[in-house]
Amino acid sequence: MTRGNPFRAPSSRKRRKVSKWGDRIFLALTAVGAAGVIGILVALVVVLYHGSLPIINALGIKFLYTQTWNPYGNVYGIVPFAIGTLLTSAIALLIAIPLSIGAAIFLTQHAPTWLREPVAQVVQLLAAIPSVVYGFWGLIVLVPIMRYDVDPILANVLGWTGWFSGRHIGLDVLTASVVLSIMTVPTITAISKDSMMAVPRSQKEAAISLGATDWEVTRRAVIPYARGGIIAGVVLGLGRALGETMAVTLVIGNANVIPTSLFSQGQTIASLIANDFFEQETPLELPALLEAALFLLIITLAVNIVARWILARFEAGRAVGAE
Amino acid sequence: MKFNRATRRKLFSHGMTVLTGATVVLVLIPLFWIIYESAILGASVFSLGFFTQNIPAPCSPHPGVTCSTNGVGSAIQGTVYLLLLAALWAVPVGLGAAIFAVEYGGERAIARVISMAADVLSGVPSIVAGMFIYALLIVYYPLLVFSVISGSLALGVIMLPIVMRTSEEALRTIPHSVREAALALGISRWKTSVRIILVAAMPGVLTGVLLSIARAAGEAAPLLLLDNGSLHPCMSVDTVCQSLSLTIYLGATSPSQNWVSIAWGAALILVILVLGLSIVSQLVLNRTARKWGQVG
Amino acid sequence: MSGTSESASTTTPGDQIVRKKGSGRTAAYVVVGVVIVVVIILLAGYYAAGWFKSSSSSSGGTSGCTAPAATTISGAGSTLVAPLMDAWALSYTASTMNYAAVGSGAGISDITGKTVDFGASDAPLNPAQRGAIPSPGVLTIPESIGAAVPIYNLPTVSTTLKFTGQVLAAIYLEDITNWNNSALQAINPGVTLPNAAIVVVHRSDGSGTTFAFSSFLSASNATWKNTLGHATTINWPAGEVGSKGNSGVTATVKTTVDAIGYVDINYALTNSVSFGAVQNPSGNYVVANLTNIASAVKDATATFPSPSGDWYNFTVENSPGAHDYPIATFTYLFVYSDLGVAYSGYTMDKAQNLINLLLWMVGDQTGQGQTFSAANYYVPLSTAAATYDVNAINSITFNGAKITSCVQT
Repeated sequence: MTRGNPFRAPSSRKRRKVSKWGDRIFLALTAVGAAGVIGILVALVVVLYHGSLPIINALGIKFLYTQTWNPYGNVYGIVPFAIGTLLTSAIALLIAIPLSIGAAIFLTQHAPTWLREPVAQVVQLLAAIPSVVYGFWGLIVLVPIMRYDVDPILANVLGWTGWFSGRHIGLDVLTASVVLSIMTVPTITAISKDSMMAVPRSQKEAAISLGATDWEVTRRAVIPYARGGIIAGVVLGLGRALGETMAVTLVIGNANVIPTSLFSQGQTIASLIANDFFEQETPLELPALLEAALFLLIITLAVNIVARWILARFEAGRAVGAE
Repeated sequence: MKFNRATRRKLFSHGMTVLTGATVVLVLIPLFWIIYESAILGASVFSLGFFTQNIPAPCSPHPGVTCSTNGVGSAIQGTVYLLLLAALWAVPVGLGAAIFAVEYGGERAIARVISMAADVLSGVPSIVAGMFIYALLIVYYPLLVFSVISGSLALGVIMLPIVMRTSEEALRTIPHSVREAALALGISRWKTSVRIILVAAMPGVLTGVLLSIARAAGEAAPLLLLDNGSLHPCMSVDTVCQSLSLTIYLGATSPSQNWVSIAWGAALILVILVLGLSIVSQLVLNRTARKWGQVG
Repeated sequence: MSGTSESASTTTPGDQIVRKKGSGRTAAYVVVGVVIVVVIILLAGYYAAGWFKSSSSSSGGTSGCTAPAATTISGAGSTLVAPLMDAWALSYTASTMNYAAVGSGAGISDITGKTVDFGASDAPLNPAQRGAIPSPGVLTIPESIGAAVPIYNLPTVSTTLKFTGQVLAAIYLEDITNWNNSALQAINPGVTLPNAAIVVVHRSDGSGTTFAFSSFLSASNATWKNTLGHATTINWPAGEVGSKGNSGVTATVKTTVDAIGYVDINYALTNSVSFGAVQNPSGNYVVANLTNIASAVKDATATFPSPSGDWYNFTVENSPGAHDYPIATFTYLFVYSDLGVAYSGYTMDKAQNLINLLLWMVGDQTGQGQTFSAANYYVPLSTAAATYDVNAINSITFNGAKITSCVQT
């Protein structure tokens, strides 16, 4: 038994003693790592909560429905920024979802096999570009295009909806949403692609044998089956969009008010923190920012947890339905 | 050809194929556009000196004054220090957590808890990670609040969940039979974990480390709070140094022409670095994925 | 990616793992090796370039005394004075000076939090901020003089526009929304103002420039005084654009047609952005320059409070001279009055280095701080102000003991 053993083991008893200590130390080291991960998360929540206590005590629930942010008047409300965050993320998803699902469909259903992985990986590179570069490019390149080319068309064609009213200078909620949508696409595309590829051939073959065209196969056999994964990808992309700071703060116009149109300047929670973090001129301002951060954290965490739960359910369902 | 319902459906299907193909093109346009702009605008300031000289003071050409773009050497230096220090603590902690979860936690609840904690941490906005370190240090060590060390602590918080989750996934691909075989041969648990399992999962672990470094290199929000304001080369890590990501942000909001140009140069360097790391890690992982497909 | 069933293979999985060729493991090790080599080369390069050595060889000598070894001194705050601070940071070699231009509001909170050695602000401490500063309290030391000017971007207008405090307040209150409004036209006769909506730009961060500008608006317009007041942060009306820092406002106005903003004169001049004339209390429209800013400070009737006193009502705006610029402002440093008591972990060496730097900043001998002012479009301190500052700086102690200074010349 020991002749072929790649490890020259000492005698039984000594080996057991040495390995027992080795095991213990190793267990301790890795346990420190595990404790570190959990501990950092707990510390994060505790620090944010502890820091927000002054304003939680002062304003209580009012923080959640006050519509203005005026440090000198001691008026702190998260409503303008919650709306800014949700509005930009929603529009970003509105733009990103059709593009991502369309791209995923093409890559999985129509593209030749040799093309699929390389193109998918190129799409993934979109996710690698740093957000500050997105913001910089957005500010220098996209804002003038929005201001002089795109916004006038939108104002002409869709002005009647009321969403495209007011002067457009390019630094607004709409441009921020467009930048966010570009950043969200790779996440949704990747996960949708994975879930579409996991659709069993039998489903598609059944549809084809019933005389469905390519599109009908996609629409009636693939997408319903991959629905869980697609939704999870969308929710994960949403999670990323909610917390995005740098790309947004450079193009959104930084106005601490509720936006009245897509051409309005606005502010998200993340960009509020980036702008106002250094303020703290009134005693409640830093606690207010910490509470805003806590609010954002809770929302992004909830969204991420939901996404991963959907993905887990989807994986379980796939295992069950797999051939 | 009869234009009946069947033909209509076929035409519609072809139309949708074209449409979805168009979305792929649309999706890729921003990527190439950003790379193109960075390349054009960034390469115009490239020179050998660009990588070694310091960032100059902000300057726009006006009567009597010409401006230089010098270089981003100090920013590259700062970014290297930040990433080194961040990886120094985040990689061992993340890897340790992953090993603990897979080897000792296995299928039990504790493994899921650690995984969930890492998932939850990965959803933390980077600015909040910066606030966290700021709030901690300002109570315990105020003089370190503005330093490379605090910046690397915040970047580490961002890197940690990426390292942990990808390492965990990589470790979980190793079949149990391997562990059982090693233990049956009398190899101690820790040797099994380190010399057999970890070595085999190394490509996946490395991918995680590379991806986390790529991500941390591009983060500017925590640095805005913690590591901001130096015009000098990086002297020591208990003071502030420049960084590539922050240089881009400061240049983007600056009216000074030389800082805007420098920012594009820094953006190009950062994009090359980050794309390079991503491509390499994808290649490394793909080779493994194919092989693992054969094993089972 | 999760391992599933095993295929029928002749070798054991253990063999395959340990001995696998081309499993990607080799590639992984190659990558690790390359990264390590690249990092070593980079660090070696920086070492060779001498960047690890602290600048112990000063280009300036010290006047016959021995200065302590160089340390790092960090400050943060006002963006108005940031270009001057940058010039100082690059020229001062006796220590490494870092300055983060994060806005006056941040400078105040940083010095309160003791995360910096000095805070810089164009706004003096208001009572609440003064109360929030822990013992032993800070000294207010004015180190330079700037001015807020109204910048605008109107490509079709080539003459310098005139503004009054009333009109500026009305613009920022969103009462005047178009460039060809009658009130603007009335004070700019003969100028063809475009029929375009004004894009109003203000500071999104806590700003001493905002303090100076809003103080002027408060003094000029009763509605402003009663509604928005003067502070480093204003509850701006909706529809305006916020930008971070003097540089952000300059950049936004420079790239946005029909925009108006307020920045320090340095930013307007160095970035070739048009700025307008402002009417002073004597009724004259004054285009800011270093001369009329200096005379505004000279003619101002307010006198410096004591360094540890209340500066909140001190202002040099709206001074009585016929050609004084009405929106001039000092910019202040905040330093703790006893460095040993304030900071834990401070050494006498570090205290000496800070004092040397501060004295250098307010000194006007060749090569010292104030000689950089004019070239960077700041007004240097008068002799009286500099003397006041020197006395204030020399009163800073370290655990009660006087700090010997040895200023770089």
